[in-house]
Formats: sequence, C-alpha cells, structure tokens
Amino acid sequence: MIKIEHVSKSYGDIKAVDDVSLKIDDGEIFGIVGYSGAGKSTLLRTINQLEKVDEGVIDIDGVDITKLDIKALREKRRKIGMIFQHFDLLWSKTVLDNIAFPLELIKVDKETRREKAKEVAKRVGLEDKLDVYPSTLSGGQKQRVAIARALISEPNILLSDEATSALDPKTTDDILELLKKINKEYQITIVLITHQMEVVQKICHRLAVMADGKVIEDGRVDDIFKDPKQDLTKKLIQTVDTGLDVEKMAIDLKAKYPEGHLLRLTFDQKSSGEPILYEVGNKLHIPFNIVSANIKNTQVGPLGVMYIHIEKRHDIAKIIEELQKDEVKVEVI
Amino acid sequence: MFFEPFIETIYLTIVPLLFSCVFGFIIGTLIFIGTSSILERKSKPITIISKICDGLVNILRSIPYLILIVWMLPITNFLTGSVIGTKAAVPALVVSATPFFARMVTIAFSEVDHGVIEASKAMGASTFDIITKVLIPESKPALVSSITVTAINLVSYSAMAGAIGAGGLGFEAYQYGLARRDESLMFIATILIVIIVFAIQIIGDKTVKKLDKRGG
Ligand SMILES: Nc1ncnc2c1ncn2[C@@H]1O[C@H](COP(=O)(O)OP(=O)(O)O)[C@@H](O)[C@H]1O
Ligand SMILES: [Mg+2]
Repeated sequence: MIKIEHVSKSYGDIKAVDDVSLKIDDGEIFGIVGYSGAGKSTLLRTINQLEKVDEGVIDIDGVDITKLDIKALREKRRKIGMIFQHFDLLWSKTVLDNIAFPLELIKVDKETRREKAKEVAKRVGLEDKLDVYPSTLSGGQKQRVAIARALISEPNILLSDEATSALDPKTTDDILELLKKINKEYQITIVLITHQMEVVQKICHRLAVMADGKVIEDGRVDDIFKDPKQDLTKKLIQTVDTGLDVEKMAIDLKAKYPEGHLLRLTFDQKSSGEPILYEVGNKLHIPFNIVSANIKNTQVGPLGVMYIHIEKRHDIAKIIEELQKDEVKVEVI
Repeated sequence: MFFEPFIETIYLTIVPLLFSCVFGFIIGTLIFIGTSSILERKSKPITIISKICDGLVNILRSIPYLILIVWMLPITNFLTGSVIGTKAAVPALVVSATPFFARMVTIAFSEVDHGVIEASKAMGASTFDIITKVLIPESKPALVSSITVTAINLVSYSAMAGAIGAGGLGFEAYQYGLARRDESLMFIATILIVIIVFAIQIIGDKTVKKLDKRGG
C-alpha cells in the first residue's frame, strides 16, 4: 500500500503540491486527473523520490521513502517502474538492450538479461522488433518498449506520467488495454496521471482530482462519475460522457425539441439502463423518446448517459421520483 | 621533400589530441557533474573542483596560443627536457586544446535528453551509471564531432608551433612563402594541410553518421 500523508512541495512561490493525502491500495489502478499545472507530475514523482518533498510522509509497504538514504532509495526505485509521455528510451540502444537496461544497471550478465528481455518483450507484443533502434518505431511501440523496460525488474508499482498523451486514440486504447492486462496478471499497483478523464474511465478503479496542488475530490470511479461533487470534476466528466460538450448538447437538443421535457439520466452498474427506464415508463404510462444515449464500460461496471424527451402534457415529477428510487441520476435540462 | 614535415604535422595532431581528449574528457565530465541540475547527490568537494575546472577552462581558452607557448617554456622544459623541437610543442598544444575539448564534452552531455536521465534515475541508476551507461553512449556522435573539431584545431595550431622549431607543414609553408618567396612550394605545403584537414573531417563525419541511430 502507498500512503501519501500531508505531502507538500513548492518551487519558489509556487505550491506545486499542497498538503495532499491519499491511500493507494495494492493491486489497484489509481488515476490522478486534473488540468495541466495542477501538480500531478510533481505528486507522482514524489512516489519514487525523483522529487523530494518539503513536508509529509510517503509510506510504501511500511517504509517512509522520504527518509531513505540514496543507496536504499535506489534499491527501492528498482521495484517501482515508471513510464513517461515521451517514452524516454535510449536511442543508442536496440529495443532489446533498452528493455534489458535496468538489469544492466544491476550488472546481470548479458546472456541472462537478454533472455529475460525477450520474455518481457513477448508479453508486451514486441517479439519481432528486438534488434531495431527505437527511432524506427511508432509511438505505441515505443511505449511498449518503455513498459517492458519497467516490467523487467518485476516491480510492485508502476507509475505512469501521461503515458498515452502523445498517442492517437486507437493506440491509446491499445496501451490502456496492455496496462489493464499487466495490472490483472501481475497484480501490479498502477498509479497513473492524465489530463484525459477518458483514460480514467477506461482503466482506473479509483481516482483523485487535482487542482492547484490540492486533491479536491477522490473516490471510486463509478461513484465519482455518477455523482461528482466539484465543478471541476463535473467539467472533466462531461468531456467523457458523451464525447461531446454537454452544454452544447443541451442547447442542440433544446433547439430540436423546443416543446416538452428533456431529461439527462446517468446510470451505473447498480441501475443498469434501459430496462429500468422501460419499466418506469410502462408503469406510469408515460411514453418517452431516447434522443441520445451513450454507454461506457469502466473497471467497476458500465456507466451510461441518456437523454430522453417526454411530451409536454405529461407530468415528469413522478418519473423523476421513480427513476431516482432506482438510483438513476436525473437532471432536467 | 615534404615527407618529414608531413609526419611532424601528423605527430603534432595525434599526440596532443590523445592527451587533450583524456584530460578534456575528465575535466568536462567534472564540470558537467558540478553544474548540471539533473544529477543528484553532489558532494561538496566535487562541486568545488568542478567550479575550479570551469574557471580554469575559461581562462585558458582566452589566452592566445603563441603567448601560451612562451608562458609554458619552463613547464615544457621540465616535461620534455627541451624548449625547442617537435616534442617541445606538445605540452602547449595539449594545454590549448584540452579546455576546448572539455567545453565540448560538457555541452555534449548537457544536450542529452533530460527525460532519459530521469528515467534512468527512476530505474535506480547512480550518477556513475548515468555517466557511463547513459551520457557517454547517448552523446557519442557529439563526442566524435568534438574530437574531429579539436583535431582540426590542432592541425592549424601546429603550424604556429613552428615558431619554436616544431617543424610541420605549416612551418614549411611559412618558411618557403615568407622567408624564401617560393610560392609554389608554399602552395604545395598548404594543399597538404588542407588534405589532412579534409581527411579528418571526412573520417569524423562518417563515424558520426555510423554511430547516430536517432534517425530522421
Ligand atoms: N522543476 C520545476 N521548477 C519550477 N516549477 C515547477 C517545476 N516542476 C513543476 N513546476 C510547477 O509546479 C506546478 C505543477 O506542475 P506539474 O506537477 O508538472 O503539473 P501537472 O503535471 O499537473 O501538469 C506548475 O505550476 C509548474 O510550473
Ligand atoms: Mg505533468
């Protein structure tokens, strides 16, 4: 378990991280989101002490790593893998030697480390690229090399700093799937930071939202997506729900359906979508129209957003009440 | 007739180059360790040594070579047992080329991508690991370019070393051209110098190209 307790870090007058406390459980994928400059990278980098803290404790499996001397810290770092937005591979080494690099650092002999590197390369789907140099690879392949390099030391923790931010959507999905697989198969705790809420929605179990160096909200992904408390969180989520600007969506729909009621419904796994809606509609004899719908899968279950239109003559108070009973979140737009 | 001066020029390039590369590499690395913000745990002594090296490099680089030769006469005498001749030109050439090469090494290291150094630190690399396993391999093309430029500088400096009887093609060109007014011989000597410089440049460029796997 990683326990971050009252950690602060300033650069001159800038409080990059301001009294942050978080607990990250073993084996989970924990996301930290926020806009650029929120302090995500700084916080993440305190976990392997690339950044020293001004105050606070970072307890990893019972050891406060802020107190370790440099030798002990290097030992510890070997069990904490890290991947980056720009991959940060050595251009002068082949893919195989890049993957084997952490073993080279601890003086494992060439044969052994190459054997091991081949094994890991296979796991990330790079077995046919071993002898080329990184400059010939695509972004996604480079990130696979970086992931393999992180995995070769058999870490318990993987830190990811915007690992998919330089990749196109399709490649992003592939890399996220790979991270998910690694998390499942090897029980590696993954702490990832991103400015894309979509990444969190796809692979995280829990998340924290950061702004101005502070964690303003944290919890399970499904809870936060269904019922975000902070405005910033709402804004971040809205970019994912529909893949569209929600406010614009509301305006568009209102223009299209000037008459009647428009409702925005949010479902999660406890209140999985349409059946409930039809039941309620039938029960109350209120016909409705689904005008837009979007269901996403998260690590902790499905998550749906639906826009429905109901004719003006119907009373919607009842339908709202019924839906809320079934744990559907309802907003009138 | 130009065979001996030709050999002397080669000697005055290669021997000082070897010394300058070794000393310059050590000094340049020390300066980098002391000044780079990206390496961790800097011991006080290293920082101080690094500062001294940095100052020394700046001073030595601003002293004209001919003046350096004169100033170094006692040291040259002590090291080579003489103040004139080809061998006697070597110490002053080393002292003039070393700071230049040291500066190039520092620059080459500081141009290595910071992300890669950070990533290596995250993998548990020590400062020594970073220098030997990251900085040197990742800056190899820049280092080879630096060696090339230093060698070419040495060729032209070696001509000035003629002033203390070091011989070499430069001195020959000067003698024929200025003293004896035999312009065709001066021309030949000059052409030979140009050929040497071109040869060094071509070998250097080829090596850089071969080492550079960055693509694009
Ligand atoms: N090395 C540094 N020196 C000075 N300021 C920094 C440094 N690193 C980060 N900052 C500042 O700290 C704040 C948080 O940065 P960062 O952690 O990189 O945010 P994020 O990763 O969320 O974009 C920003 O205002 C940034 O300018
Ligand atoms: Mg960042």
